[in-house]
Amino acid sequence: MSGEVLLEVADLTKSFGGVVAVDHCSMTVREGTVVGLIGPNGAGKSSLIDLVTGFEHPDSGSVRFDGAELIGLRPDVISRMGLIRTFQTPREWRDLSVIDNVRVGRSKLARESLFRSLVFAGSMRRDEAVETSEIRQILKDYRLDDLRNDRAINLSGGQKRLLEFARITAARPRLTILDEPMGGVNPVLGERIGEAIRDLKRAGSTVIVVEHNLPFIEKTCDEVVVMDVGTVIAEGDFHDLRDNARVVDAYLGNDDE
Amino acid sequence: MLQYWIAILTEAAIFGVLALGIDMIWGWSGDFDLSAYAYFALGVYMTMVLTIGKPSPPVEYILGWHLPYLLAVPITIIVVIAFASIIGAIALRTLREVYFSITTLGAVWAIYYLVENFTPLFNGYNGLSGLFDPMGGGLSYNAYHYLFFAFCLIVLFCVYLLVMRLSRSPFGRMVRAVRDDERAASVYGRNVFWTKYRTYLTGAALAGLSGSLFAAYIGAFNSLDWAPTEIFVLYAAILVGGRGNPRGVVLGSFIVYVGFVEMTRYIPSPAARPELGPALRQILIGLLIILMLRFRPGGLIPERLGTDGSQGRRSRMRSMFQAQQDGHDESVATAHADDGSDS
Repeated sequence: MSGEVLLEVADLTKSFGGVVAVDHCSMTVREGTVVGLIGPNGAGKSSLIDLVTGFEHPDSGSVRFDGAELIGLRPDVISRMGLIRTFQTPREWRDLSVIDNVRVGRSKLARESLFRSLVFAGSMRRDEAVETSEIRQILKDYRLDDLRNDRAINLSGGQKRLLEFARITAARPRLTILDEPMGGVNPVLGERIGEAIRDLKRAGSTVIVVEHNLPFIEKTCDEVVVMDVGTVIAEGDFHDLRDNARVVDAYLGNDDE
Repeated sequence: MLQYWIAILTEAAIFGVLALGIDMIWGWSGDFDLSAYAYFALGVYMTMVLTIGKPSPPVEYILGWHLPYLLAVPITIIVVIAFASIIGAIALRTLREVYFSITTLGAVWAIYYLVENFTPLFNGYNGLSGLFDPMGGGLSYNAYHYLFFAFCLIVLFCVYLLVMRLSRSPFGRMVRAVRDDERAASVYGRNVFWTKYRTYLTGAALAGLSGSLFAAYIGAFNSLDWAPTEIFVLYAAILVGGRGNPRGVVLGSFIVYVGFVEMTRYIPSPAARPELGPALRQILIGLLIILMLRFRPGGLIPERLGTDGSQGRRSRMRSMFQAQQDGHDESVATAHADDGSDS
């Protein structure tokens, strides 16, 4: 189950003004696992993700992805190395059609060159046509195929969550970081999202899930990392952690939910 | 009368090229740029100084070359791109929305006053003149204007084809993805600044081309012929036709330039108040913008959705119409949401 180390966070620190959001945080994620990242609100989970994906710059520390240092790189550069994340709310491209949202996920950047788009329009259209069947299969898997020509803004909240998964599936990342994928989602759709995460794993992606729903974490994740006050306080199997006093304290003592 | 129509249609074709450029920046990329008229004006001035030859005192301007018109056009475009690359680099790096607009507005007024007051550049507020018969060849006055009209139409058509091709290409799709959500676009590996910057420079290049055409059309140009506020007429044209859709933008340019020039021609201006006609024209354009935004915010031909390509033309039109209705109606979107995900 545990392959090579894919992501290695070492001694990462970030403060906003006087608030230390991430405090000497270290963790490792092995290739091919689904890791649940849990902790009370304000524990620094989202800040940690922002630091790893280049949206924020840390005060100190390092993040290595497959051996390469990520700190100092722009989010789009990090993404091209094979790391894709979501945000707490679905972020579809609102005025693109559903199928185009997935196409942008799949599309290779070379194809989007201004020059090639002007000069080789015909051959590019053929390339896209070849991909269409693959993309429609992904849309079918997420029950979005009937809506493929609709504007993405017209989807329901749950459908937008599924569209995010369709986009990630099309992009085939090595590491996927999901920030609260269950936010505002009904139980039936929750099942579907759990399945989607297992599908991502089967397709070869390593997954980190930030989530408050513990039964969901128990069912979906191979390993759990617990954060509190900006640092990792425990790592390991979900069942072992349930008996860990610090973990229970963190949740019962500080959780303001 | 025919000559009059030819003149108006020529102008509409020239501004159609400019509108296509501005629409790339605003419609596709979402940046409400206010400096595009400066790129247009710079295009006019540059074409002049590259073609009309040495200045004779007291007139003064830079270069004073005597190049053939068709050679001056590409040089003009390169100069305009170089210039836009500076303003774009400053304005697009981190600024968005109103902050971007204010920066570009500042840039255009700075350029306007520089051109007007720094005489050695383009002869100050007296401007430049002397570009006649750029196509050469001793045609009669009328024949030349018909020929030039045909030339402008051909240029507009070629520009339209290229812009349309770009609009439907993966590049056009990526630009719109960046417009809709920059963070999501960078999560999927798109360089936000570089995407917007390339679009901006392409739009500026079209503004420069349009300026080159306008230089040949009017033959003389000074700072009274352009004001940074003229850009709102172009935004009106884009709004009327359909933001983000090249076909709509060309249509809108012809509607606004032909329709409004015509309409305002019949507004009587008393001799004592000659400014009344142009003022009413501005008011009518403002009214047009408001009415379009209220009743048809997508324009006459709204932006086209990229589909799976399996649909015919008719059903594509239908889905376009539906999108136009749904897109701006919250209640429909909510009703949609109730279907849930399990449908």
